[in-house]
Amino acid sequence: MEVAALFAHPNIQPPTFATPGSGATPMRILLSLSIAAMLVAPAVAQKRAINYTEFDLPNGLHVIIHEDHATPIVAVSVMYHVGSKNEDPSRRGFAHFFEHLLFEGSANIKRGEFSKIVENAGGVLNANTSGDRTYYYEVLPSNRLELGLWLESERMLHAKVDQVGVDTQREVVKEERRQRYENQPYGTLTMEVLRRAFKEHPYQWPTIGYMEDLNAATEADYQAFYKKFYVPNNATLVLAGDLDPVQARTMAERYFGDIPRGAPVTQPTIVEAPLGGEVRDVIHDRIQLPAVVMGYRIPANGTPDFYAVELLNRVLSGGNSARMNTALKDEQQLAIYTGAFNFPFEQPGIAMLFAIANAGVEVNALETAMQREVDRLSTTPISATELAKLKVQVETEAIADNSRVAGIAGNLATAHVLLGNTELINTELDRYLSLTAEDLQRAARTYFVKDNRVVLHYLPKNQP
Amino acid sequence: MIRTRNLRSLACAGLLAPVLMNAQLDRSRPPVAGPAPVVHLGEHTSTTLSNGVHVIVVEDHKLPLVSVQLRFDIPPVHQSGMAGYVDMVGELLATGTATRTKAQIDGMVDSLGANFFATSDGVYAGALKKNLAPLMDLLTDVVQNPLFPTDELEKARTRDLSAVQQRAEDPEGIAEAVGRSVTFGPSHPYGEMHTERTIKAITRTAVEAYHRYYFRPENAYLVFVGDITAKEANDYAKKLFGKWKPAKSLVTTDEFGRTVVEGIGALVPLEKPTTPSGVRRVYGVDRPGAAQSVIRVSFPLNLIPKDIRAQQATVMNTILGGGIFNARLMQNLREKNGFTYGAYSSLEIDRFNSSLTATASVRTEVTDSAITEILLEIERLRNEPVTQAELDLAKSHMSGSFGRSMEDPKTVARFALNTELNGLSADHYKTYLSRLEGVTIEQVQDAANAFLHPDQAVILVVGDLEQRRQGLMELSMDGKGIIQLNDDGSPWEEKLTPVQGKVAEQVLETHIHAIGGREAIAPIRDLHIERQVVRGADTLSENEWFSAIEYRSILKRDGAVIEEYIHDGERVLYTDPEVTGELNDAGYEAIQLRGRVVPAMGYAKAMEWMELLGSTTLMGETVYKLRLRTAYGLTFAEYYNAESGLLVRRVDDFYYNGRQWHMTTDYNDWKGVNGVQFPHTIVEQGAPWGKSVRTIIDVEVGKPKPVTFFEVNIPEMPDLPVPPEMLPPLDIIPEDQ
Repeated sequence: MEVAALFAHPNIQPPTFATPGSGATPMRILLSLSIAAMLVAPAVAQKRAINYTEFDLPNGLHVIIHEDHATPIVAVSVMYHVGSKNEDPSRRGFAHFFEHLLFEGSANIKRGEFSKIVENAGGVLNANTSGDRTYYYEVLPSNRLELGLWLESERMLHAKVDQVGVDTQREVVKEERRQRYENQPYGTLTMEVLRRAFKEHPYQWPTIGYMEDLNAATEADYQAFYKKFYVPNNATLVLAGDLDPVQARTMAERYFGDIPRGAPVTQPTIVEAPLGGEVRDVIHDRIQLPAVVMGYRIPANGTPDFYAVELLNRVLSGGNSARMNTALKDEQQLAIYTGAFNFPFEQPGIAMLFAIANAGVEVNALETAMQREVDRLSTTPISATELAKLKVQVETEAIADNSRVAGIAGNLATAHVLLGNTELINTELDRYLSLTAEDLQRAARTYFVKDNRVVLHYLPKNQP
Repeated sequence: MIRTRNLRSLACAGLLAPVLMNAQLDRSRPPVAGPAPVVHLGEHTSTTLSNGVHVIVVEDHKLPLVSVQLRFDIPPVHQSGMAGYVDMVGELLATGTATRTKAQIDGMVDSLGANFFATSDGVYAGALKKNLAPLMDLLTDVVQNPLFPTDELEKARTRDLSAVQQRAEDPEGIAEAVGRSVTFGPSHPYGEMHTERTIKAITRTAVEAYHRYYFRPENAYLVFVGDITAKEANDYAKKLFGKWKPAKSLVTTDEFGRTVVEGIGALVPLEKPTTPSGVRRVYGVDRPGAAQSVIRVSFPLNLIPKDIRAQQATVMNTILGGGIFNARLMQNLREKNGFTYGAYSSLEIDRFNSSLTATASVRTEVTDSAITEILLEIERLRNEPVTQAELDLAKSHMSGSFGRSMEDPKTVARFALNTELNGLSADHYKTYLSRLEGVTIEQVQDAANAFLHPDQAVILVVGDLEQRRQGLMELSMDGKGIIQLNDDGSPWEEKLTPVQGKVAEQVLETHIHAIGGREAIAPIRDLHIERQVVRGADTLSENEWFSAIEYRSILKRDGAVIEEYIHDGERVLYTDPEVTGELNDAGYEAIQLRGRVVPAMGYAKAMEWMELLGSTTLMGETVYKLRLRTAYGLTFAEYYNAESGLLVRRVDDFYYNGRQWHMTTDYNDWKGVNGVQFPHTIVEQGAPWGKSVRTIIDVEVGKPKPVTFFEVNIPEMPDLPVPPEMLPPLDIIPEDQ
């Protein structure tokens, strides 16, 4: 689950080459949710392989370098293997809070200067956090590669973690929470599904966390979290773009080599028991159109069945000809929007299917129609034509997904950190392409079953 | 200093590494930049077919992808009561052609792994190069032979109606739609709102006629980008669009000289870009209990893309809030004040109407403070030169983002298209960076002064208006206070449900009963109430004494009387530090009512007219609304809790100092004293004298004051009538029915 960037980029570009008609799009939040999920999935392999070199520094920092001189820019990024699942249950929201806090400065960077330095160099910066990892990045003109390394090494070596920064950012995060979740129709959808889908595993709480936990935390708590997780042996540095790999390596060694290794970081080993029966609930929200959400427990990202479920999602909602779109929107006119996607969690997670009703459509009618499409996945194998369609879609997206250095940097980091194999940036596509109709049917029968899911009805506040 | 380019060969030879490793690393300051890389603007080719279709090609063979856009140059069209039909052209374009059904089109797009979006001004498509040929066939068919099937139109109508309904609960969606409407006005196409009414009015005739009139070769731009040669692209263009000569629409001229297009009707001439005019207005869409307020401060601009000042204005906007973290709005509202997750300004410059808009979602308590800060930042840009450091940062950001945009070959195509559509000089983008470098501090300040006028801002708040009524009211400069709108942009009206079998007198009787009943109230004599009054930054003390029919109240600041009323049962004397005199007419009536322990007990006698208008919801509770008017025209509304009978709110609409005031008085914390309920906290908002919170400190009963205490001595001077503007002109009072 992608949550919470340091700040949201508003649409500041002039009308682009291709701007689909804007109009009223009440489904913004859901669209962005599903798109985020797609972007994070480190799909990708293609004919034109992405080149890279990778190595570990003695302090444990993993470094990946990708060279591409097409445009004179470089991406510098660090992925820390810490997300909300690494949090103490009484300190929920820490990882995301650090996403904000670690822009406050360092021993050599005054408060508020971090972003100023990047913007003065003609670069952009941002960060985002999920259940599994936190990702910081800058994209800079290629003559400022060294600047990016200095900034990221400062952040890792001696970031400013103090009460002043905590107090400022707590207010900001409070407003972020209100803006993105509480003041958005269906904004709480993800958190409501996850809290019912997991009883033991920390995926049960939202990455944005809870204000009461942040309020209760002391400066010492924050410092301990920083010391524990933001260490080279828990981080991956990616340098991508218009650079010389040999020189880039030298610079990486120079700026990061002297950062002390931290204690080994272990990932949670909690294994969530099967859901053991359908969980159902009704949520009353400030909405006008009812919605149905189904959250199915699925295996971890990178496992064969994870990919199979991704293709099942695509059967349901990948394009206008997908089954939920044709059945629910075109033929039965029950829905205004449908979607299906996996949360790309590195431990067993969730696939989410949802539909928003057309005005006047009764929520149970919508669920019945969705259920029919879900059931079909188990009862009948998909046709060869349909499978071919899914694969050409995946192939095209995989290529488009590696068209920019910032995207490539993110995909390289994800492949290494969450999937444990950087080469997946080139070979993951094969995992999709090797799937058969039988694999998909078996996955549907295994995971898209009632006992394995949470079903929520979102209803307008005044509707019983 | 590291000179990247020069050192590259050394590094490859393995000579550099030891040098760098051995040098002492100075962490205390940022590394110095090497020479700035040169930004290369990609090339494009441009040709025109004999029927007028423009073809633009940008070759980029890095990835095996091609994207194609067919874009028609169409001015914004006023939809005269059918707002939404233009968008529907896009929604329906790919839902059926002479030879393909919607299902076939969708199936084809997905089987090609393609992107395919139709809009009201064309089509965008993209796919792997190997799948381009069938995709081009489809694009051509969709543009040249659409059927706009009736059943698909009805489906689209259902979806659009649902979307409008959903928008009612999407504060950002409301802010965007209503914000544009109040900024540009309903007579400009940008200000037309899609509503249930306009979507229901859409006809297939209009959709089809729009396509026939505007989707023409003469104003078509066919743009190819990606893994395709100019020759291949031009061959596609000639083969598929070279012979395209669609039938023309029937066009006539009406008596006003306007063009009339068959099926569309008279084309509303587009107004010139708006110059800011009028005074600052505050619009509000009320969302009781909202988690945040979405605020939007906008300025229409008289600015077009080819104006030389467009770039200067863009630098100015970058410094204000245009997408960088170090912009003033972000630093002020987020980093300094913690009001918001993000505050931004955006500058939209186009040929037809431009605007600058500042937005933020903020917590309710700081709604008006956040708007004030935005206006202050704008004022500061006008009054003070920006610093060199700020200017440099803005320029660095803009040149950096220009450089990054080159990574996407579509950028070059976009530049070529913009150049043609907006009549820019041929070297507009080639000189972009050098012109940017030349922008001065003075030009930034000039742009602020030319385009931003805080006194003419259009302000919109979507949030819990009640909580900040006073502060928002004070931001208004047009004399109308908060102009309250519905979520579809229509004027707000309170929704009242008729109450059957009940009249105003019964509601008042229930109220009197609820606070103790006539038996308990009547014996109360010699009542004294002491309050603390917090008004703005002031803390005042207020004392009221109620005798049998006499009344006196004194309001003091630091021991000095600032307002006093004495009612001896017949006359009312008013005194403040500047004036003293007798109140007559409505002024007398107001104090006479206020001088009763339970004002409602005097209504039967004092009111010339009172009516139970209906029931509604206030702060989650059902309330009855009464409208009351005295003989001299003192008019106000009151809301009584339908269950408890207690008075919840009073609303006074009146004119004062040439503007309209909407004052609400909320009665909270009802608690019993000697068996009679008193509101222990009274909150007044929207008054000319600011927000007041009046809290009871003490209530005493049975300590009589001498008769002289209530004596009225009218000084030897003319009567002091209530200023005429205090009297609401009866014909302007908003009626609730």
